[in-house]
This record gives sequence, C-alpha cells and structure tokens, in this order.
Amino acid sequence: MAQLSLAGVRKSFGVLEVIRGVDLEIADGEFVVFVGPSGCGKSTMLRMISGLEDVSAGSIQIDERDVTRVAPSKREIAMVFQSYALFPHMTVAENIGFGLRLMGLSRQEIDRRVREVATTLQIEDLLARNPRELSGGQRQRVAIGRAIIRNPKIFLFDEPLSNLDAALRVQMRLEVTRLHARFGATMIYVTHDQVEAMTLADRIVVFNGGRIEQVGAPMQLYERPANLFVARFIGAPAMNILPGALYSTLFDKLGSGPGRPQLVEGVASIGVRPEAIAFTSPADALLSGRVEIVEQLGAETLCYVAIGADLPTVTVKASPATAAARGQNVGLKFELAQAHLFDEAGLNVSLPS
Amino acid sequence: MGERSRLRLNPAHVAIFALLVILAVLFLLPTVGVLLSSVKPKRDIAMGDLWSMPSSFYFENYTEVLSNPAVRRYFLNTVLVTFPATIASTALGSLAGYVFAKLPFRGANALFLTLVSGMFFPPQIILVPLFRLFNFLGLIDTLWPLIIVHTALGIPICTLLMRNFFATVPSALREAAILEGASEWRVLTSIVLPLSLPALAVLATLQFTWIWNDFLWPLIFTQSDEKRTIMLGIVNLKGEYSVAWGIQGALSIVASLPTLFVFLFFQRYFIKGMTMGAVKG
Amino acid sequence: MERHNRIWRAALLALPLAVFVAFVVAPLLTSFYYSVTNWNGYSSNYAFVGLANFTRIASDRLFMQAAVNTAIWIVAAIALPTTLGLALALLLDSKVAGARIFKSIFYLPICLSAVIVGQIWIWIYQPDWGLLNAFLSHFSDRPFHYAWLAKPGSALWSVIVAWSWQQTGLSMVIYLAGLTSIPGDLLEVCEIEGATRWQRIRLVVLPLLAPATVVAVALSVINALKGFDILYIMTGGGPFNSSDTLAMHMYNESFKKYHMGYGSAISIVLFLIAISVIGLYFRELRKVDRIYG
Repeated sequence: MAQLSLAGVRKSFGVLEVIRGVDLEIADGEFVVFVGPSGCGKSTMLRMISGLEDVSAGSIQIDERDVTRVAPSKREIAMVFQSYALFPHMTVAENIGFGLRLMGLSRQEIDRRVREVATTLQIEDLLARNPRELSGGQRQRVAIGRAIIRNPKIFLFDEPLSNLDAALRVQMRLEVTRLHARFGATMIYVTHDQVEAMTLADRIVVFNGGRIEQVGAPMQLYERPANLFVARFIGAPAMNILPGALYSTLFDKLGSGPGRPQLVEGVASIGVRPEAIAFTSPADALLSGRVEIVEQLGAETLCYVAIGADLPTVTVKASPATAAARGQNVGLKFELAQAHLFDEAGLNVSLPS
Repeated sequence: MGERSRLRLNPAHVAIFALLVILAVLFLLPTVGVLLSSVKPKRDIAMGDLWSMPSSFYFENYTEVLSNPAVRRYFLNTVLVTFPATIASTALGSLAGYVFAKLPFRGANALFLTLVSGMFFPPQIILVPLFRLFNFLGLIDTLWPLIIVHTALGIPICTLLMRNFFATVPSALREAAILEGASEWRVLTSIVLPLSLPALAVLATLQFTWIWNDFLWPLIFTQSDEKRTIMLGIVNLKGEYSVAWGIQGALSIVASLPTLFVFLFFQRYFIKGMTMGAVKG
Repeated sequence: MERHNRIWRAALLALPLAVFVAFVVAPLLTSFYYSVTNWNGYSSNYAFVGLANFTRIASDRLFMQAAVNTAIWIVAAIALPTTLGLALALLLDSKVAGARIFKSIFYLPICLSAVIVGQIWIWIYQPDWGLLNAFLSHFSDRPFHYAWLAKPGSALWSVIVAWSWQQTGLSMVIYLAGLTSIPGDLLEVCEIEGATRWQRIRLVVLPLLAPATVVAVALSVINALKGFDILYIMTGGGPFNSSDTLAMHMYNESFKKYHMGYGSAISIVLFLIAISVIGLYFRELRKVDRIYG
C-alpha cells in the first residue's frame, strides 16, 4: 500500500502532447478510477505510473520516493492488462509464479506462495491448466494472482473488464471490489465505462484531452459536476443539455414568490438530469413537447421528448407505470433552482461556492 | 515496449550494434569482393590481387560484358522465361488459393496439403520424366519447358501464400458482393485481389528471384547457346573468360541487378508478407 | 448457393490443378515407373527389372557416401543458418539503430543466384589468392595455401559454409516475422516483473517462437535436400565424389552415365526422405499450433 503523487506530469509523442500537465495526490489504500473517452490519455497516464512509458516532464512519487526515472520492476507496482497478458506456453501456476522465478526463489518457496495466492482467489484447482482452457473470469483471476504475489505497493488495472460480456462484467466488478476490501491496497483503475467508475471508485479522476477535468468521489461528480464535460460524462442516461437561450424564458415561467431563485448571468447551457424531470399538466409545465420514443427497460422507462425544431431531444426517466405514450403531447417540469447552469467556457456557475 | 530514457547510451545497445556491424561486414565481404573485382583492370587481377582495393576504377569490364551479344541473348532468354512464369504461377496460385480460402469443401484440406507439399520436393525427382516428356514433344532446347515447369513448380508456394492471405480478408466482403449480384469472378478480381496487393508483391518478388536465378532447369532443358539463360550463361562463359575475373565479376553483378532491384523495391512488404504466409502453417 | 459454389470451385481450380497434375504429379508417378526399369535415357529399348535398381543402391558405395553427405548437410543446415538466423533476428529486434539496413545486408545473398554465390566463394576459397587463405596467412609464419575445394576432407564443408551464407538471411526473415507475432503486452509483463534481457529471451521469446522455428528448420532442411546448384558449381560433387549428395549422385547417374532407371530409383529414395521430413513438419506444426494457438 502506498501513496502516489503526480506533479506537473506531461507527455508528448513527438510534437503531439497527450498529457498536458497533471497534478494528483492519491492516498494510501485508495481506489482511484481514471475515466474518460477514447484518446483522453488515461491509459497513457497509467502506463507512465507503471514506468512502461517515460515522462516528458514532471515527477511521479511513490511513498515520497521519486520514481520518475526508475524501471517498472523497481517501482513495486503490479499491472493487470486488458488482455490479461497470460503466457500461453505456461501453466497457470507458472504464470502466477513468473516474477518469483525471475527473482531466483527456490522451487518450494515459489510453489508455496503460488498455492497460497491461488487459494485466496479460489483457482487452486486450475494451477496445472493452460490459459487457453480458462474462461474470461478465470483468466482475470490468474492475472490478478500474478499481480498479488509480489506484494506490490500499487495495483494498476488497464481496462481489465473490456473483453468480457455484460453479465460477466458485473460479476468481475464485484470481485475487484472484494479484492480491494480484502487487501486494502492502493489501486488505480482505468476504464471508459462510467458505470464501472461510479461503482468501484473511492475517487474518480475524469480525463479529457490530456487534462484532468475533475477529481472527486462518485456522488460528488454526479451531483456537482464542475463543468459541462463531466456533467455529460457521468450519469446514465446522460444529462440533458438545453441551450442557454431558454434560460430567461424558463426563469420567467417560475413567476414571482418565495423560493424563487436568483437570476444567473451569462448562462450558455442548462443541464438537467433525466431523473429530475417529471411529466406534468401543461399549465404547470416549464417545457412542452411530443413523445417520440418510449424505451421500456423494466425497472424504469425512458422517454425521448421533442421540445422544438432546433432544440435537443429531452430524455426523461419515468417509472414503469407511466402513462406516456408515443406521439403524446406532454408537459415537462423540473426544479430550475437545482438545474446545472454552465457558462460559455463550460464551467458550472450554479454550484454553491 | 515503452520508450527508454536516452539520457545515457544503453551499454547493451552499443554492444549489440557493434556485434551487428561486425557480422554485417563479414556478410558483405563476399559481395563487396565481387564488386571490387568487377571494377579492376586486368592487370591488377593477373597479379593475383582479387581482394584489394583497385588501383583505378575500370569500367571497361562492364562495357565488355554489356556489349557481348551472347550476354544480351542470355538476358533476353531469361526475361522471356521469368516474366511469363512469374505471372502465370502467381495467377494460378491466386485462383487456387482463393478456392481454398473462400470456397472450402470436404477434402479441401487434404488436397491443399498435397498441393503445398509439392514445394518441398527436390526437383531431381521429376527431372527425368519431364525431360522425356519435353523430348517427346520436341520442346527440348526451346524456352517452353522452362516457362511451363517454373509455373507448375511455383503453384504450391503461390497457393500457400495467397490462401493464407485471402483467409485474412473478411468473408463478409464477399458475401455482401454476392448478395448484390456479383459473380465469384467479380469478387475475386474487383474486391479480393485489389486488397491483396502487398501479398502479391511479395509473392511475385519471390517467384521472380527464384526463376531468374534458376540454374538446374535451364541446364537440363537447353542445349544450344542460343537458348541459354543468364545463370547458365555465366557458367558457360567461365570457360571463355577463364582468368578474366574482372569480367566475370562484372557479369555476376549485372546478372544480379534485376533481382536486387526487385527486392529493394518491394522490401517493405517482405516481412509483412512472411508473417502472413510463411509462419502460419 | 452451394451449386454456385461448386461450379466456381471447379472452374477456378481447374487450371492450376491441371498444370500441377500434368507437370508435377504425373512426372512423379512416372519416376516411380522408371525406377523399376533399366532405361538409359534415349533408347526405346528397355526392360522391366523389378526392384533390381533398389537393391543395387544397397551395394552402391557412392550412394552411401552421398547419403552420409546429405545427412551431414541437413544437420549443418539446422545448426548453421537456422541458428545464426535466429541470433540475428534477436539482435535486430532490440530497436537498434539502422535495423532496416542490417536486415537488407543479411538478406541480400538470397537475391543472388546459386551460380553467383558459388563463384564468389570459389574465389574466397582460391588456394593462392583467395580471401580466406589471405586472412589465415596473417596468423601463420608461412603463407597458407590450403585447397579447400580440392581436398576430399574439406570440400563438402566448404560448400556448406557458402550455402549457409546465403540461407541465413532466409531464417532471419522467418524469425523476424515470428517475433512480430509475439503480443506486445507479454513483453511488457516481463518489464514489469523485472526480467533481464536474457531471461526474457529464454523464458518467453524462444518458447513463443516455436512456430517460427518449425518453419525455419523445415525450410532449411528442405533446401538442404534440394541443394544442387551450388554444389554443381563449386565442386561438381568432387573431388572423387567426396562432396556428392543424393541429388548430385542422382544427376550423375541419370545424365552423365545414362542410367536413367537407376537414377530414378535414387530420386525415389530422395522423395521418401523428403516425404518423411514433410510429415514431421506438419506433425510438429500441428502440435505447436495446439499449444500456442
């Protein structure tokens, strides 16, 4: 378990700068998730922490020790790859014990420790098998076993669940959480899936274009996104973004009276989550429109409402019992005071300071 | 592999580079020797000095070689054999490779293996019957047997490489085209072949080199000087030029230029092609 | 659809198969036929002699010599160019500067004809002014004049070295291709786990090169079996048949001594050897494929 510090980290491939100044502190034992769209630099950042990529500028410290120029094997980190990177020509036991073998430990010692790790992960009866014969979930456990066995200070995960089907992904997610609970190790996990981020992380780091957009606990990011990017990225279905031109119209509809919020200047976009919108009578409604599509997911129903020719379609999360049907004209209501307001630069100006 | 810091010169890299340089020099020595000898005047060589730097650069060896009508004839013959045979074997190999890749059938594997194993046999095995056949057809001492035999012997490797490459072209492309009404021929010529140009380039290079450089079949099937190919011609001219090493050197260089040129031209496709064809069984 | 497929299969396979059958398979079968006759190559007067040609082989001293030489050549083919090609591929894989140029240099000899390679090495081996003797002379007080190609003990090996010079590039290319098929993240695991360069090569790279090794060895062996041109140029099988291989012996018998029937018998034996090698190759390949899939 260890603490990690990134200071002013930059990375360029030739003239292309992919990491543009990253500062981050990760506490001992934290489970941090790097999340972001393809090409945002999250994997590159992870690889720099591992030492597989060199840093162009800035420093990386593990437990106050500067490891910026230290070889990967000397950083006391372990990594689980997206493909698991299991050696096809070695058995599970040999795969797990690979690092120990390189260190020159005795055969008995290696066997003992491999067996110990395998029992922890409940794969002890797979030790003599080859990776080809294993299922995706079993392979992941072998990869984790190889990572655990050297008692690393930091675990790095590079999109380990991307190759699994949906059902397995949920199951494996729980395993990763259990792993963290059990070992309490510092873990850095990269994914493009914000659901994984929300469910696994102590803190989420949202990357975009080589920079950090926001760092915070999952609910923090959900409830108080610092900018438009984070607002749209976190939460599924995604937040509805309405053009700022509507703001004054909506504001006027609120009428006067107690509880009326302050008028905010310079609003360029309004963000409202689908779950914050309700269907209502036309008199009461802030917006009105026509239901285009209804998706019934079982536990909830998503309605896509067209509110005007040049305006975006609004997603509404309704209960399964909702009466809304395709083609129906509906009224939409939400709390403008609780909507997220973004300025020209995309910053959230409605956050309480 | 991630980048490695280049602040200090990695000692391992330096050692490897040095070793490679030594090996490269050793490997180049024979070829460089011929090159040097080809620009040496007769005087140098007569003094037994084949391997040293020439006293002056003497290109008359080359003019002598290039103006020799026999040499010209040999070149022409070789061209007349190599180009048709390369094209024919590549084409036939593509046809067969396409069937094995995209139109599988029961027993296809066995047939494919039989075809491919043809590339492993020492040609000596069919020397005699082929000689007899072409003798019977009255084609001995013409270029026809050479073209035919090289085409036939090239079919196994061409089929192997093209089949392996065609297998990497998604079947969905073919199926989509057929649904639109394309014939199989159309699929092959308009869709699959254009995608296969790298593999074809590698194959054509291999075939060209192999056929151009061949010595055995011309030895067997040609008798008169009229019909000799260049490699056979070189051997023949050894007698005429006996101690004119310089001229022989020049002749060797000139005879190798086509294959060298073809190789350098298609070089970048080579490793890629090998990956696709050779390493996959 | 199936009918459509059937028609096209036949149409496309027709020509290649026809050519192959007519000019490879049929002659092969004819060879079998000739091997049981005493045909001399030109007269139409010949008789069926059963297995007489084959029994003659057993007592043919030259055949035994040629067989031993062929075996030596095959072993050398695996030891020299294949191993050296592997070493070169490993060296060139380490992102050293100028890799492309080095690769071209090592591959260059393949572009040369056996005739030219043979000629070059004849000059290298020349007793009085050849490069080899000139080099060796530096190490002794007297000038070195050994006649490499003219002495029975060294003739075969001299040719094998020359042939290896040419073959190495081919093995190298095969191994280079094999190296590119090793997944990058397996090598990154080695970096993270702290493997030294040698550990990485020994424990991960070499085992995963098994498919390439099968190909490289098979190709080297087959080329060794086929090796004729360079031998013909450099020694003609001499001196005194000491560098004969089975292929050369067959040629001598058929085309020099006009024992076409006997020559065919020898070629059949060569064929059987080739078949065993091919069989071994396919079996090993299947085994390797199963492991490394």
